Amino acid sequence: MVLIRRLSIHQRLLLAASLVLTAFLGFTGLALDKAFRSSAGEALQARLYSSVYALLAAAEEGEEGALTMPPVLTNPRFNRPDSGLYARVVGQQTGYRWQSASGLGRELDFVRRMAPGEAKIERVELPGNEAVMSLNFGVVWEDFNGRELRYTLMVAEDLAPQLEQVAAFRNTLMLWLGGAAVLLLLAQGLVLRWGLSPLRQVAEALTDIESGHSEQLEGSYPRELSPLTSNINSLIRHAQARQQRYRDSLGDLAHSLKTPLAILQGLADQADPVEREQQQLLSEQVGRMNQIVGHQLQRAAASGRTSLARHLPVGKVVGRLADTLSKVYSEKGVTWQIEIPETLNFKGDEGDLMELLGNLMENACKYGRSRVQVTGELDQGRLCLRVSDDGAGIPSEEADAVLQRGHRADQRQPGQGIGLSVVMDILTAYGGRLEIGRSEVLGGAAITFCLPAT
Amino acid sequence: MRVLLVEDEAEIREPLAERLRRQGYTVDAAADGREGLFLGREYGMDLGIIDIGLPEISGIEVIRELRKLDKHFPILILTARGNWQDKVEGLEAGADDYLVKPFHIEELLARLNALVRRSAGWSQPVISGGPVQLDTSAQRVTLEGEPIDLTAYEYKVLEYLMLHAGEVVSKSALTEHIYEQDWDKDSNTLEVFVRRLRKKLDPQGSYQPIETLRGRGYRFALECKR
Repeated sequence: MVLIRRLSIHQRLLLAASLVLTAFLGFTGLALDKAFRSSAGEALQARLYSSVYALLAAAEEGEEGALTMPPVLTNPRFNRPDSGLYARVVGQQTGYRWQSASGLGRELDFVRRMAPGEAKIERVELPGNEAVMSLNFGVVWEDFNGRELRYTLMVAEDLAPQLEQVAAFRNTLMLWLGGAAVLLLLAQGLVLRWGLSPLRQVAEALTDIESGHSEQLEGSYPRELSPLTSNINSLIRHAQARQQRYRDSLGDLAHSLKTPLAILQGLADQADPVEREQQQLLSEQVGRMNQIVGHQLQRAAASGRTSLARHLPVGKVVGRLADTLSKVYSEKGVTWQIEIPETLNFKGDEGDLMELLGNLMENACKYGRSRVQVTGELDQGRLCLRVSDDGAGIPSEEADAVLQRGHRADQRQPGQGIGLSVVMDILTAYGGRLEIGRSEVLGGAAITFCLPAT
Repeated sequence: MRVLLVEDEAEIREPLAERLRRQGYTVDAAADGREGLFLGREYGMDLGIIDIGLPEISGIEVIRELRKLDKHFPILILTARGNWQDKVEGLEAGADDYLVKPFHIEELLARLNALVRRSAGWSQPVISGGPVQLDTSAQRVTLEGEPIDLTAYEYKVLEYLMLHAGEVVSKSALTEHIYEQDWDKDSNTLEVFVRRLRKKLDPQGSYQPIETLRGRGYRFALECKR
C-alpha cells in the first residue's frame, strides 16, 4: 500500500494502463482461441457425418441382401493404413464385422450399439497416445426377406492434425497479440511522457528558481496548468516584493533614526572642552541608542528560512567579502585561506549570509594579526562555516556573554562581542548554532556556525 | 587636500564640512548625487566622502560614474543601514573604505588620513625627506627635529608636494587641490606660499627642498622613504 502511494503520477498511469491493456488482450486471446477451437470442432463433426453418409452410400447388398462393405472405398483415406480416418461397421443381429483398411492393426472396438437414427460423437483415447473423435451412427437395413437388420456405423478421425492446427493458430495469435501489446505499451509510455511533460517542466522550473538560475517559472504551460504556474509566479513575485518592501522600510527606518543620531554625535564631538562631562554622557547615550536601533533592525531584517529560497553559492559570497575586506584592511596585508567547496550552498537570504560572514570575517581582520582562514563543509546535512584568525582569541567570559541567550542589546560586550551578537541574532532566526573556540592551525579565535539541514 | 563631500542631510554636511576645513582640507560639499558627480568630474579631488543614501543619483552610482571617468581618488562611503550588502556593493563600485553612521569625527579624520597616505603610496603617517619631517595625522612639520610654524595654506602646499614627492606638480593642479572652487586662483598667491615655505624650510638655502621647473610646476626634490 505504502509502495503504491509512493508511485509517481507517471508510474501510476503506466501501471493502470498496462493492467487494463493486459486484461483486455488476455480476454481477446481467450475469446479468439475458443472461437477457433469450436469452429474446428464443428468442421470435424461435419466431416464425420459426411464420412458416415459416404459409407452408407458405398454399402452393397450381400448374401440375402445383408449389408456388405466393398473391399475398396472411394475415399482413399479409408484404404490407406494409418491415414487417420477409420471406419467400422457392426451388424447387431448378423454379427457382421467390417473394418476399413486404414484401421489395420488398430483395435477399433469402441462401437456402441446404437438405435436406428441415433448418433453419438465422442472422443476416444487409443493406445499409443492416439486420440480420435468418433461418430457412432445407428441404421436399419432391410434384407431380401424383409427383415430389418440393425447396423452401427462408426467413423473415427485422428485428432492430432486438428490439435496441431489449434496449436499453430495459438502461436500465431500469441505472436500478434504480444506484438500488439508491446507496441501499445510503448505508445502509451510515449503518450504519457508527452502528456505529463508540462508537470516535469514545472518541477524543473522550480528547481531552477531554487538554484538561482531564474526568478520565475519560465515557459508556457498547457491550459490545465497555467492557472497553477501563474499563481506560483505571482506568489513568488508577491513574496519577493513584500520582502523587498520590508527591507526597504527597515532601511528607511534605519536611515531616519540614524541621521538624527549622527547629528547628535556630531554635536557631541564639537562640544566645548569645558563641557567634557556632558559631552561624554551625550556621546555614550548616542552610542547606546545606536546599538539598540541597530540590534532591533537587524533582528527584524533577518528573514530566516523561507520556502523557495535560492541556493546561494557560499564560496562566492566569501570571495566578495574577502575582496572588500582586503581593500579596507589593505595596510594590514591580510592573507586569506579560503577552503569552501564549490558545491556548498546556503538556502536563505543573501543579506543574512553576508551579515553572518561579514561580521565574523571583519572581526578576524580586525583582531587577527594577518592571517584569516574561512572553511566550510556539510556536516550531516548541516551547513557549517568557520572563520579563524591568528590573533589573541576571545576571552571566555566575553564568549559566554555572547552565547547566553536573551542578553540585552544595550549590555553588549565591547570588542568582538558586537559583531558576534549580530551573528547570534541571525542564527536564532535560522535555528542555527554558534561555537566559539580556538583555532588549532592559526592559534587565534575560531568561530563556527552551523545551520540546520533543510 | 581637496575633499568631495556628498551628504544630503544639511545638519550633518555643514558641521562636517566646517570641521574638515578647520582640519586643513579644502571642501566641496554637495547635497545630492548629481551635484556631487559634477564637482567630482570638474575638479581634481584628493578624497571623497559619499553618503550611500542620496536623492536623485545614489551614492553607489556616483562612485561608479566617477571611477568610469578615471577618477582614482580614494572614496569613503557613509552608510546609515550599516549592512554588509551595502558595504560590499559600495566597495565593489570603487569605494575604498566605509563608516557606519553615527560616527565620531575623530574616527572619520583618522580614516581620511590613512586613505590619502595609502593612495599616494605611503605606509606610515610620517613622511621624512632629508631634514624635513611631515606628520600627516598631527599635521605637524619639523626641521631637524625642531617644530616649524606654518600657516594652514603653507601646510597644505607642503603636504601635497611631499605626498607626491619626486613628481612634478603643476601650478594649476596645486591650485586646484588647495583652493575651493570659488576662491581666488591667482597663481601669484601660490608663488608667495612657495617662497615663504622655502624660507622656513631652508633658511640657508643649502639643500633646496622645493624645485621650480619653469613652465611645468614644482617638485619636492628630497628623497623620501615610502
